[in-house]
Amino acid sequence: MGPQLSWYLALSAILFTIGAVGVIIKRNVIAMFMCIELMLNAVNLTFVACSSFFQDVTGQLFVFIVMTVAAAEAAVGLGIIITVFRNRESLNVDDASILKL
Amino acid sequence: MTTILFIIFAGLAIGCAIAMVSQSNPLYSAISLIGVFVALASLYVTLAAPFIAAVQVIVYAGAIMVLVIFVIMLLNVEHSEPRRKRLKFLVPVAIGMAAILIAETAFILYSVQTSENKLAGNTSDVGLTHSIGAGLFTTYLLPFEITSVLLLMAIVGAMSLARRTTVLSATARVVPGAQVLAMDIVNPRAVGDLTAVETETTAEAAHLLGVDFQSDRDQEE
Repeated sequence: MGPQLSWYLALSAILFTIGAVGVIIKRNVIAMFMCIELMLNAVNLTFVACSSFFQDVTGQLFVFIVMTVAAAEAAVGLGIIITVFRNRESLNVDDASILKL
Repeated sequence: MTTILFIIFAGLAIGCAIAMVSQSNPLYSAISLIGVFVALASLYVTLAAPFIAAVQVIVYAGAIMVLVIFVIMLLNVEHSEPRRKRLKFLVPVAIGMAAILIAETAFILYSVQTSENKLAGNTSDVGLTHSIGAGLFTTYLLPFEITSVLLLMAIVGAMSLARRTTVLSATARVVPGAQVLAMDIVNPRAVGDLTAVETETTAEAAHLLGVDFQSDRDQEE
């Protein structure tokens, strides 16, 4: 008996929860960014697990698209982080609590 | 066998994720996150999704995390703590673990070469590059094209964010009397041209603009 689908879903839920907790407790904007990446990966794991257990390739196609979105998010998000740092000299999100510069 | 692999890699993923959240140094968090990505890629291999596993390592652990680490090192706001002594005993541990890793690799290569019973071929092609490509370019062609537009928008957005929005060029010198004028002020025909025209002195700027200008020094003489 190999691992069941529910094991993968449980692992994915644990990883997603850790990522969500990280976004809440972290104050460094780059660390929060990495926690968001962790949550995206947890979702990817459910897609691949379901795709493998139901023998349907659609889930893996969606993982591919999620990865593309994550890459775009990394490019734009890190650009925003650099711009905010240039204006505020800080990576703490509490220092950027208003959107006005 | 798959159960053991699942337990190992799930434990590695959860441990690295907890380490990532509990670290205060973003660089260590990034390295822990790479551990999570590699563990997930290994799980994808056990789920018979080799293409996604390879893309996970190449795109996530490769491209995205290199970008994140680059930004961490570029901004470099970590607290300047002195390097602690306790890191010294990690050197022999690292050497030992590297030796174990090399031994494992050698063992795997040896056992694959000498193994009698080959693995039965996977009858289903779900997860192989062929089926993913076929699905991506037939049924899901529209999402694929939309994704390409999204990537283009991300490139344009990142470039416009990174651009410095000042009129002054990087070579503009700050000397008394120096002026920086937009081209459409100097030349009335070049409407809308905001190219910076730099002049050394106020008199030179007045000459460019066609204005009669006498400096205070001239008047005193």
